[in-house]
Amino acid sequence: MRIAIDSEPRLLSILRGVVRFCAREAGFSSSEAECLAMAIDEAAANIIRHTYAGRPDALLALEVTHFADRLEFILEDWGPKVCEELIHPRSLEDVRPGGLGTFFISSFMDECTYDRDFKDGNRLKLVKYLSRKGSPCNEGSSSQSG
Amino acid sequence: MKVQVRNLDKVSILDCSGDVDLYSSPRLRESLLAEIRPGGPSVLVSMSGVAYIDSSGIATLVEGLQLSRQTQTRFGLFGLRPNARSVLELARLHKVFAIFENETEAVENIGSTSSGI
Repeated sequence: MRIAIDSEPRLLSILRGVVRFCAREAGFSSSEAECLAMAIDEAAANIIRHTYAGRPDALLALEVTHFADRLEFILEDWGPKVCEELIHPRSLEDVRPGGLGTFFISSFMDECTYDRDFKDGNRLKLVKYLSRKGSPCNEGSSSQSG
Repeated sequence: MKVQVRNLDKVSILDCSGDVDLYSSPRLRESLLAEIRPGGPSVLVSMSGVAYIDSSGIATLVEGLQLSRQTQTRFGLFGLRPNARSVLELARLHKVFAIFENETEAVENIGSTSSGI
């Protein structure tokens, strides 16, 4: 499945809906699907806020592919190249607004890599395996999607 | 997302409903910053209608918490759904906020005085 949207924050709910649907179709639990929706939402929000600097008329695309053992999410944008070295989760000891998006992405996904061969912008690949245990999504939460 | 403010005796309750995300969190921020002020009432955020909250929503709540400390305003959350609670726990913020199960408990604990948290 592939979907492209304008870089408008109000459209992020569409991406979340797509991810929830694909995750449930692939066999993830509802709480896992909610975590995956949040991870993709955070990644897309980062594109809107940082790569596109809040511009609402740029484009971002999400492609979801279901393999036997995993779901792969490809997020593409056509903005300036991201400096990967500057992206890392911050310490949770530091209680302050902001900076948690990357933490949630890395917590909920098993792999997170940028495609260096994508020349026209940024292509972020996020992978979630079906069978891996120990995910924070499986620790007693139930789903309440919105 | 909708935010409705109820003013009770010595406590303001912000009833949030819907998704709190990059699009909607500025509305919550605006309401929080208007209610949390020196000499103002205690402030509680009802999260029972919040189906989804992302990092921008959490950042807004943290900003409200920080402002409440600066202004000596008592501040708390109640009615968190499991997803929102899990996200706060994962970010280790569940012990930073005053979190209550329901409005009655929250008002009893937070709404009784106007300063101290």
